[in-house]
Amino acid sequence: MMRPASLVGLAIALWLLVVLLLGSGYEQRLMALAAGYALMAIGYQLVFGQAGALSLAQGACFAIGAYTAGILGGRLGWPLWAELPAVVLVPAALAGLAHTPVRRLDGHFFALATLGFAVLVRLVAVDAQGLTGGANGLVGVPAFGRGPGAMLVGWSLVGLGAALALWLTRGGNGPALALVRGDADLARASGLDPERIRARGFVLAAGFAGAGGALQAHVLGLVSPDVAEFSVMVGCLAMVVIGGRGSVMGAVLGALLIGHLPEWLRPLGASYRVAYGLGLFACLLVAPAGLIGSLERFWPMRRAARPVAGQRAAPAVATLRIDGVEKSYGGIAVLRDVTLEVRPGEIVGLIGPNGSGKTTLVNLISGLDRPDRGTISLGERRLDRLSPDRIALAGVARSFQTPAPPDGMAPLDLVTAALAAKRGCAGFGAAAELEPLQGRAADLLQRAWSTDIARALALDPAVLLLDEPAAGLDAGERDRLGLLLRALAAEGRGLLVIEHDMGFLMGLVDRVAVLLDGRIALIGTPDAVRADPGVRAAYLGTVPC
Amino acid sequence: MPAELLTFAQLVLNGLALGAAYALVALGFVLVLNATGAVNFAQGDMVMLGGYAAVALARALPVPGLLLLPLVMAAMAGFGLLFSALAWRPFRHRPPIFGLLATVALGLALQEAMNALEGAGPQAGPALLGVGEIRLGPLGLSRASLGILLACLGLGLAQGWLLGRTQFGRRLRASAQDPVTARALGIPVDRLIAVSFMLAAALAGAVGLLLSGPYFVTPTSGTDLILRAYIAVAIGGWGSLRGAVVGALLIALFESVVAGYASSVAATAALYGAVLLLLMVRPSGLFPAPLGRRA
Repeated sequence: MMRPASLVGLAIALWLLVVLLLGSGYEQRLMALAAGYALMAIGYQLVFGQAGALSLAQGACFAIGAYTAGILGGRLGWPLWAELPAVVLVPAALAGLAHTPVRRLDGHFFALATLGFAVLVRLVAVDAQGLTGGANGLVGVPAFGRGPGAMLVGWSLVGLGAALALWLTRGGNGPALALVRGDADLARASGLDPERIRARGFVLAAGFAGAGGALQAHVLGLVSPDVAEFSVMVGCLAMVVIGGRGSVMGAVLGALLIGHLPEWLRPLGASYRVAYGLGLFACLLVAPAGLIGSLERFWPMRRAARPVAGQRAAPAVATLRIDGVEKSYGGIAVLRDVTLEVRPGEIVGLIGPNGSGKTTLVNLISGLDRPDRGTISLGERRLDRLSPDRIALAGVARSFQTPAPPDGMAPLDLVTAALAAKRGCAGFGAAAELEPLQGRAADLLQRAWSTDIARALALDPAVLLLDEPAAGLDAGERDRLGLLLRALAAEGRGLLVIEHDMGFLMGLVDRVAVLLDGRIALIGTPDAVRADPGVRAAYLGTVPC
Repeated sequence: MPAELLTFAQLVLNGLALGAAYALVALGFVLVLNATGAVNFAQGDMVMLGGYAAVALARALPVPGLLLLPLVMAAMAGFGLLFSALAWRPFRHRPPIFGLLATVALGLALQEAMNALEGAGPQAGPALLGVGEIRLGPLGLSRASLGILLACLGLGLAQGWLLGRTQFGRRLRASAQDPVTARALGIPVDRLIAVSFMLAAALAGAVGLLLSGPYFVTPTSGTDLILRAYIAVAIGGWGSLRGAVVGALLIALFESVVAGYASSVAATAALYGAVLLLLMVRPSGLFPAPLGRRA
């Protein structure tokens, strides 16, 4: 059965055909202009819809594309074949340059930085007379003319762009991108690098926008500084929101609708733009997933993924060594000279009162934070200078104390995202096929106790860090979890388990490390730890066991 | 005083008055941000609406701007209530990006509505303390700027008192920090949020009146203001009241001084360049909110 996106694509193709064969020159020109917007919106889906970064620079990149076309194709008289790569590469390169210094920024700080870029582009457009013609803009850009030619060229480019965007986000990229935009920390712990993925999305989006802007310049035969106004950016946001966030076909649909809105609302006269604002608001209110997303809600569900057992090859085994690690926050020492080993096939328990530094230690091992002093290594490889995603891929995976899957993300997608990351998925471009990944993910979910442990197992780790895995489980569930953890150790994996449930922990582990006030007070077998009077007084004494 | 220094002091003084107005816009923005976590991109357009309200009231009632100020603020507070019902209530359980886009859409509709009603040309609002200039030794300060400074000082202090010293302020801060617990303690969180929208809109109305006199008002005059407020709040550390005020003053001083010595184009370019540099060095602003994730 056809998906809504394909049906909408078919309808759009029909609409284009009708305008191409029967439309007036004016209607065909409107369609050619809409193609430029469609390219911009398709690109915006990559950075905003897929990677989840609120970029406010897409309109500016559209303008850069238009001016590049105006300067190279118009003023310098470059032929089209030479100009085409330039209108894609110049905005992409400028976006890459602008993004490099601010790549660490998140959320609104990223939005602000991209807004700053957009304002600077607008200033150059309006005030750099020599380069951009200032308020007069650039005229004499070779025009494609009024006829069907411009429309054909424009929509061929849209077709190419849409195919490229679909290829860039296919297979395992889909779930990986969903995880990146849903929860950056969880993505890092799953072996994905949100910074790099957002950077790639930003640069790719700029290339698409540049092609769109150049198309507009060639359809109009001129470049006006209006192209750098912020309303272009607002229009782009409106296109992807109305069409459906993340969907390539949604972007095309949104661009067609927004592109034709002034025409359709012409009877309203000057107040048509009020209707535009209110219509956008109404769309957000009643169809937040956009037109494509709303259609998909009423479509039959996809077939459930069938579990496919992966080959249980022995994982690469290695010893995790924590050596002399210290960490303080604001002058307060949280960890002091912590030295600990987790050997292959061994389950080590980590206990200690609240605030003794257990979670901090796990955060340091998994790279969410860096130690002030000391080293952490897996086998021969130093981990304490690696980013969380590198650590996850190097073979140390963790679960979280209060795992909360990102909004609207199914457990299957979460585990699939980690599997894709393990197979080298980088968010955009080449990626493993989706169905085998999903089958493997379903298998892992069946085997593991929780979604979060399944996600960690998807990374096929040599060492697994579990932060209170038994919290909230009843006796039967704890038994099942214990069996799973022993089976994982039997495969040669090392396990470091933080747990408050002494009955569960003492029956499970080979050794216990006791953390008191940031120091390892004692490491030994469960019996030795139970018998130690200091530990009893400080910790176990408060728990009946 | 040497002439060089005098020019500089005059530029700083002008910048302070403008910065005070930016600070009030930013305070309204932060008020809603803290109460709901929502980004109100229409705060600038509310200033614009307040400006037109002042223009309309001044046409009907030829009295000094100072007397119109409470009227405009009350009318805008009513609008704030309506705005919260439209732009916040329906979106409170959705990802924050939807609320943000909703305020963009409503702001756009407001701009275009005023454009259709009043045209794109600038309109002059009432003066708060009359017109003319006051001499402060060798420096000059227009009555309009003095009015802005005094009104912003008064409103800023009033807001600080309201949030910091009253039971209402404590409840508001409690429900902003942890709405679930606040609700469990019997605090009417939804009503408090509606009130913070009303306060933010009233502040916007005040700024609208203050700026409509000396700087006029056009349908798009909110756009520049919201961009300044957004920068102020971001470099001030996303949610810090003190940071927003400091950020707004810094922006205005920077603009005033650079524009005074070079041009307003150079000022804008330098401002955004400086913001990019600042974000490179301090990715969470000047006064970052204490963040932490209990993994």
